[in-house]
Amino acid sequence: MATGSNEPKSRYLQYLEVVTGSLEEKKRYRHYKARIKQLPENYRIAVEAVERYLMHFGPADGAGAMAMYEDLADLFEQGAADGTPIRDIVGDDPIEFVEAFMANYPLGQYRARERNRFTNAIARAAGETTPPQDRTE
Amino acid sequence: MGKLATEMLKGTLEGIVLAILSSRPAYGYEITAQLRDQGFSDIAEGTVYALLVRIEQRGLVDVEKVPSEKGPPRKVYSLNDQGREYLEEFWRTWSFLAERLEQLREGGN
Repeated sequence: MATGSNEPKSRYLQYLEVVTGSLEEKKRYRHYKARIKQLPENYRIAVEAVERYLMHFGPADGAGAMAMYEDLADLFEQGAADGTPIRDIVGDDPIEFVEAFMANYPLGQYRARERNRFTNAIARAAGETTPPQDRTE
Repeated sequence: MGKLATEMLKGTLEGIVLAILSSRPAYGYEITAQLRDQGFSDIAEGTVYALLVRIEQRGLVDVEKVPSEKGPPRKVYSLNDQGREYLEEFWRTWSFLAERLEQLREGGN
């Protein structure tokens, strides 16, 4: 997803971002936060709960994480506009929803990588020589 | 819808959504509504949405942002060639599975 300008950054900006992290991402995050604030209260509470849950699984920075938050905002904004009840958005088992959601972004891929590492370690311990199948899906 | 149906639905939801999209492009809420009409009452919109994001990332669908009367633009998903191929494979797998289950029910093996 293209966001922001494609102009090359100035040297100064490049050095600054080494220290502060991507300014573009910070801007996107602030923009996301502003969108969330506009939501009706119960939708906002739900999004913030999802966000808190996601934050537990590691640092969620980078462009991939921003795409995750923007998609989250899209979903709840659309839900609010359609008048979809919170339960109809997140379902009876919100964990299932949030896990399926997270799996699509770097945060979830980090979890998948750890699962792979674990699966491989057990396979080695079990004396299996053939590399196990990739289970990132 | 019972717990068993929900569990069984999980493994096939991707194919079901692709099948729905094969008849015509749709956005998330339309797909969820259609599933509900067909008796999958427990299906959450968020779950369908997460699935749509996934099949988009895997290149099975094309996405177009269409302005809506109320609220933000809607992402309309349409099946592309790669998606159609995947759907065909899904149906082949499904036929195989359904056949085997039918055999089990009839007591053969």
